[in-house]
Amino acid sequence: MITNLHNFLHQYFTIHDCEVLTENQTEMTIRLNRELDQVLMNRPFYWHYMDKIGRQGEPMSLYLDTSTENKDNNREWIHFGSPRLQQIFHHIKTNARFTILYEETDGDTKTALHPWLVTNIMVHYCGKQKKESVHSIGVQLINGVMKTDMMNHMDGLSMDRRMSDYSFTISPIIKPVSGFRRIFHYLENELLEEDMGWVKQSTDALNEEIQLLDYFFHQQEENKEILEKEQERLTERLQPRIEIEIINAGLFYLTEEASQLIIKD
Amino acid sequence: MSIPILRDETFIQEYEEAIKTPSQLADWQLFKQSYQIAETMKVPSFKDLVAPKFLPHLEFLPHQIKCAEKVIQHMNGKALLADEVGLGKTIEAGLILKEYMLRGLVQKVLILVPASLVNQWALELNQKFLIPTVTSGKRVDWQNTNILISTLDTAKSARHRQTILEQDYDFVIVDEAHKLKNHKTKNFHFVQQLSKKYCLLLTATPVQNKLTDIFNLISLLKPGYLGTYDDFIKQHREEKRKVDEDPYLKQLISKVMVRNRRADTGVHWTKREIETIWVPFTDQEMDTYHHVERFFKHNTAISAITYVREFCSSREACYLSIKKWVQQQDNVELPETNELLSSIEQLPHHAKALKLVELLKSSDEKFIVFTEYRATQIYLQWLLQQEKIPSVIYRGGFKKGKKDWMRQLFQHHAQVMIATEAAGEGINLQFCHRLINYDLPWNPMRLEQRIGRIHRFGQENDVKIYNFALKNTVDEHVMNLLYNKIHLFENVIGNLEQILSDLHLPNLEREVEQIFEESRSVGESKIKLNNLTSVIQSYQQADEAKENLL
Repeated sequence: MITNLHNFLHQYFTIHDCEVLTENQTEMTIRLNRELDQVLMNRPFYWHYMDKIGRQGEPMSLYLDTSTENKDNNREWIHFGSPRLQQIFHHIKTNARFTILYEETDGDTKTALHPWLVTNIMVHYCGKQKKESVHSIGVQLINGVMKTDMMNHMDGLSMDRRMSDYSFTISPIIKPVSGFRRIFHYLENELLEEDMGWVKQSTDALNEEIQLLDYFFHQQEENKEILEKEQERLTERLQPRIEIEIINAGLFYLTEEASQLIIKD
Repeated sequence: MSIPILRDETFIQEYEEAIKTPSQLADWQLFKQSYQIAETMKVPSFKDLVAPKFLPHLEFLPHQIKCAEKVIQHMNGKALLADEVGLGKTIEAGLILKEYMLRGLVQKVLILVPASLVNQWALELNQKFLIPTVTSGKRVDWQNTNILISTLDTAKSARHRQTILEQDYDFVIVDEAHKLKNHKTKNFHFVQQLSKKYCLLLTATPVQNKLTDIFNLISLLKPGYLGTYDDFIKQHREEKRKVDEDPYLKQLISKVMVRNRRADTGVHWTKREIETIWVPFTDQEMDTYHHVERFFKHNTAISAITYVREFCSSREACYLSIKKWVQQQDNVELPETNELLSSIEQLPHHAKALKLVELLKSSDEKFIVFTEYRATQIYLQWLLQQEKIPSVIYRGGFKKGKKDWMRQLFQHHAQVMIATEAAGEGINLQFCHRLINYDLPWNPMRLEQRIGRIHRFGQENDVKIYNFALKNTVDEHVMNLLYNKIHLFENVIGNLEQILSDLHLPNLEREVEQIFEESRSVGESKIKLNNLTSVIQSYQQADEAKENLL
């Protein structure tokens, strides 16, 4: 959960090597670099032109207000509904789908790193209404141990895209693709244990509406096309189903110690 | 209970590709952030609205939140929103749309509104709900635009019709949906044929004339819900059952319709204060008034009432339409006609107009002045200009840009806006709280629409309404008998629409006109008018005791 939007944004800009020029509790001025300017400022022609004439171009600055109330202070108010935050979220989501990470180790003793497949998953329950749940599931690719709540378990770990000196990885015995299958399978079993009242409600609602529809049009040959279209859209809207969407996933190489802690947790 | 579960197989394929290219791999912080976003933005329950959390700058009224919840949870996103004028139907529709979009259930949206409202809808959705929209201009791309605002006329026109019917819309909104009340019209058929998952119909008058109006509207949302048209007619007309005697029907309707009334909203509404300003004609004007009346009474083929009414508004309105009438007569100009026209020509300023100037000059407040006639509108504009009172005019026929501009001029520069009836629908003028009915419409619904422009949510002051009426004229009869007797100004109209439909009085204005046309004397017309209002009045009293259908 994002508990503090201000800190979240600060982190986002620092990850992307942008300088936070000034900052207090609720205000933040950021000098963008070219990469984020192109992502956020929506001025492709400017950059195209700069490239054409062989100039560097000047990235813009963002003046954000992260407080919960809109103020008249010439700053851009950023909150959970604002288009700017949607844009940033979208940028993160598309760029953080896959990873391979190694737990950092120090010292000069040889350390073995064990492979985990970690998936973050959003489950969409679609019927009369819709809801979503988020799951973080990992599978250890040597012995097949399955753990939920992985992101929380790993929260305190230091991870890097480069392996530390003296570390070495143990090759997976279970292939990542089968890891995904195991995770799907596990999750589906869990889902089938849940209360299915909503499925029945949706099915009932669908049947009821289709009956009414048939009755309304039963003598109207000329409106057959409308009837079919309505039936199709009703089914689309009310037919219950569950969609499993992977938010992101990656191969995580963890030390024996961390692995054991997670498994025991 | 079995349920299909769809796995995200494409992700696995993409993963296998991506893992080979290190540049596509995220670092730890970013990976975590993406997970945090999902945790934060997920829709955790079927029930609670998530949209308000994403719109912290909006303050919703309790009835608006309740409406959105009801539509989403109990009506499955197909509903008739029939709040009284000024309770924020647009806000409710926007909230529902936003909620569906946030839940990922809606992408492609078609919003059909009257031409005068296109801009306002776009503005409200953009600014309040942060929903980017496109309005249908000359070049419109029905296929690739996600959220499009258009008019019913544009959409159903031969040029666009087919393309639109080929689209699958997730969400369709029709504002001023009473235009769909007749199932034999092109409007109705067009909306019926639209491919739509969710649908909202917005109208303040779900029953305009007949009970079949609401039947037709509901049949667009949920065909079959109230049976077939024939069933419905059989049940509700032939047996002559009154609507409010049918609790079953009432209950059925309540499952597809949300109708809030001012009184139920629990929100403090500012008061409306009514003042009738009686204006006497000068002797000269009175003579001409009778002259007009006599002239057309002799011309049996045509009714005097139209011209007399116009004369009560302005010389210009009356003069122009008599001229037009003369031109339509093939015979040579009669001396009597010329005499009549010249006696109108010679009149000084209209008594009501002078009274208007007097009233405007006595105050610094902004006023919106409604008139029925364009000629009167132009005359008043000219007169106010002479008197150095800054004013703007407003007509339904204005282009979008001009309307917005006029509204802005009125807000920031002018004291007065002179509007004709067409302005009744759509514009919001909450910054103004004085309204003058320079002449009265003979249809109380239209009166309510006028008042609704300023007496609506967002109005912070008590609203003051001035009604101009000329003594000893048709104005006086209408005012006393039609308006005062049934307390139309005090009571927000609400159940009048119902009463009129139960009484089979679809067109009250026509009814009143007929009384004047068919009566041989003033006395007779008074008696008839009195009878008419007595019926309505007795119905009103009976109605108060009973619970209403809507």
